[in-house]
Amino acid sequence: MADVKVKNLTKRFGKVIAVNKVSFDVKDKEFVVLLGPSGSGKTTTLRLIAGLERPDEGEIYIGGRLVNNIPPRERDVAMVFQNYALYPHMTVFDNLAFPLQVRKMPKKYIKAKVEEVAKLLKIEDLLDRRPSQLSGGQQQRVALGRALVREPKVFLMDEPLSNLDAKLRVYMRAELKRLQKELGITTIYVTHDQVEAMTMADRIVVFHKGKIQQIGTPSDLYKKPQNIFVAGFIGSPAMNFFDATLTYKDDFIVLDAGEFKLKLPKTFSSILRDKAGLEVVLGIRPEHIKIYKEPRASTVKCRVYVVEPLGGEMIINFSLGGKIYKARYPGEISLKPDETIYIEIPVKHIHIFNKKDGKAII
Amino acid sequence: MKINKVAILINVIAWAISFVWILPLMGILMASIRPYKEIVRGWWDFSEFNPSLTNIFNALYHPTAPLSKGIVNSLIVTIPATIMPIIIGALAAYAFARYSFTIKSYLFLTIVLLMAVPQQSIAIPLFQLMKKLGLLDSLIGLSIVHTAWGLPWIILFMKNFFATLPVEVEEAARIDGATDFQIFYKIVLPLSLPGIASVAALQFTWVWSDFFLALILIYSPDKLLATQRLPLMRGQYHVDWGVLSAASLIIIAVPIVLYLALQKYYIRGMVGWVVKG
Amino acid sequence: MKLNLTPYFFILPALILIIIFVLYPISATISLSFLSPEGYFVGFDNYIRVLSRREVINYDGILKGYFPMGAIVHNAIWILIHLPLSTLLGLVLAVLLQNVKGSSIIKSIIFLGMVTPLIVGGIIIRFTFDREVGVVNMFLKAIGLGHLVRTWTMYPDTALFSLILGSVWLWTGFSLILYSAGLAMIPKEYYEAAKIDGASSMQIFFRITLPLLKPVTTTVVTMTLLWELKIFDIVYVATYGGPGGASNVLALLMYFLAFRSLDFNASSVIATLLTALTLIVAIVMFKYVVRK
Repeated sequence: MADVKVKNLTKRFGKVIAVNKVSFDVKDKEFVVLLGPSGSGKTTTLRLIAGLERPDEGEIYIGGRLVNNIPPRERDVAMVFQNYALYPHMTVFDNLAFPLQVRKMPKKYIKAKVEEVAKLLKIEDLLDRRPSQLSGGQQQRVALGRALVREPKVFLMDEPLSNLDAKLRVYMRAELKRLQKELGITTIYVTHDQVEAMTMADRIVVFHKGKIQQIGTPSDLYKKPQNIFVAGFIGSPAMNFFDATLTYKDDFIVLDAGEFKLKLPKTFSSILRDKAGLEVVLGIRPEHIKIYKEPRASTVKCRVYVVEPLGGEMIINFSLGGKIYKARYPGEISLKPDETIYIEIPVKHIHIFNKKDGKAII
Repeated sequence: MKINKVAILINVIAWAISFVWILPLMGILMASIRPYKEIVRGWWDFSEFNPSLTNIFNALYHPTAPLSKGIVNSLIVTIPATIMPIIIGALAAYAFARYSFTIKSYLFLTIVLLMAVPQQSIAIPLFQLMKKLGLLDSLIGLSIVHTAWGLPWIILFMKNFFATLPVEVEEAARIDGATDFQIFYKIVLPLSLPGIASVAALQFTWVWSDFFLALILIYSPDKLLATQRLPLMRGQYHVDWGVLSAASLIIIAVPIVLYLALQKYYIRGMVGWVVKG
Repeated sequence: MKLNLTPYFFILPALILIIIFVLYPISATISLSFLSPEGYFVGFDNYIRVLSRREVINYDGILKGYFPMGAIVHNAIWILIHLPLSTLLGLVLAVLLQNVKGSSIIKSIIFLGMVTPLIVGGIIIRFTFDREVGVVNMFLKAIGLGHLVRTWTMYPDTALFSLILGSVWLWTGFSLILYSAGLAMIPKEYYEAAKIDGASSMQIFFRITLPLLKPVTTTVVTMTLLWELKIFDIVYVATYGGPGGASNVLALLMYFLAFRSLDFNASSVIATLLTALTLIVAIVMFKYVVRK
């Protein structure tokens, strides 16, 4: 078992900078998720750690050892690929045994170890089959098994669940997390699915355009996103954003969003002092918007655009100032398109970002 | 119905064309298994039909150019000239498919262009070179030349084939601890068997069919290949169609059997490297 | 960064063989074509000497319309007849066979020509056009053209054309197989969409099928051109370039010059010209493919 340290990692493909001065630590036994949209550099970072790519700059340490010039087979890492990358011409047994065979382990040990792992993953009955004879879920387990069998220092996973159907994916999420905790293997897990990241990770590293946007626990990222990108990427449906200006009125700081004004409590004054006239972006998550059929104090009038019922809750799309926003309504409410509703934006849940650099102010 | 008439017409035309197409081969077949006095009346005339293996036997044990010896010689050349370039070519193709190294693209371009060059262009220097190397009039020497000339297209074909293999499987093996060479022969080669079958079918057929290189490099009567013996059986003034057809039939039978057995790979080989090339 | 030597080890055996047995002989041929028999550099003297020979270009034959017209002209005639004939025949057959029962058998029959060793192909051509046993003459008799019966490969005015027709028989399988594969790769939805849009089958063929087959056409044309430039075995065994050089081609002429006349320098001129022609064809194709 080992920790992983990445320092100022940079990787270019031609003129494209895929990974740009990336630094983060993964503690021993920790489950860290690299999260970001496609092309954000998360997979490249993982491949750099695996040794499948060579960094242009920066250092990678595994268990305190600098591994920049060490080939993958000597890094003692295991990797699970998105399409599993099982050896199609080998049986499940040989797939699991391969990492041990190329290390010239004794045959007896290999057999015992493969059987042990197969039992752990409940694939004992499949050992004689070929990968093409397995279901997606079974292939996934074999891929996991092949990574486990070596007892590597670090587990690397590249979107391992994305090829499974939705139901199995949810099941495997829990299964993987349980396994990781049980075996206590340091794990770096790449995904573009923020729900997967939120449910599985001890900590999440958010990538965008080759750079790290934020590192934190799932709850940190949800509650205190450090910039607009993280705020918009985490949470589903995504956070609503309104362009606004900071103004002063009678000692109060007021957010002027054009269609509505929001009076901010005094507690914010210390942070927002001297910022009058600043262009900002106001963010509010759909689950925090309150919806009423009748006007109340400090509600804003808007029109229903479309309603998406989800069973236990509803996503209400409403239009305000020509733009569409989303609100999540727990329970059921009967609304028709073009009906007038009144929304309330609770001040305690709002986020304020600087419009210029996207950084969070509150 | 109108549509049906058109469909029937198309079927008739297609089968008529294929009938015309098989006539020359039928002629050779008939001439091989029937006595000459029947053939001169036309091989399509079946008023008398006495098939026999006399012509085939006479071709195999021809007094001046026995084909049986030629077949053995051809196999001695063709088998190594099929296996060697596959191993050497696949190795090189893998380097071109999966590694980046300096001058790679120029090197590859050169090799691909060499595919176009006719063997006739190198006859004289090749003759002199083989003489210097002591490989003239040597079946092994001819085999080596065929190996070298097979490499360009095999490299191109196998490179295209490797490009269709999922790279992740090789990366998985790399992380699992395999060395570059282990990855090549434990993962890549077994996965490439369909491609190798295509290459083997075509390379075998082409080397077996070769006439020119043999003509330049092999001249001892007992070393002549099967294809070289065919013109010798023609005779100066009188063409003995029985023996000549029988010899043709024997020589053509080998690639035809190979084609019928490996049809899928054969076609894939034909289509694969040219369509993608 | 450490240099990874692995790929160099992988290509080394292939490279050594190619350099010794392919690249070196090619460059030696080219240099021979610029040298005198004694080994002195003579510029283009050999080229002028060779290109003014009757065997290469026979102006009298071209002007008066008799064979031999010279090997270069024979190759050109070969290309002019064989290229469109085998390419179009393959295309038409590939399209027709889409709707034919047992089309795989027909394809196999036509493809047998591709499997046939060319030296055997030459024998078969000679046989098929033979006065006594050839099926061509039987056909002529059957349709009342009995006065034309003869061994077609033995007369100057018909030898070359007989060989060319025979080579169509041998090679059409190539374009048929490639076009069939190309047709199979076109998604059915295109045809369905075009039908729904109201296109006739002719329109569908010329506006959808043919443009989508363009890469196949490029390949077929290129490979066919290269094949036609290299024609050797068929002519060697069927006519030996005769009668009187009437069916001689460049590759065979090169062989005669080298191994019968022992004029290595003249032979190298032809060889170099052949190499240049094939390389031009290959480079044009390569550029076309790369441009895509």
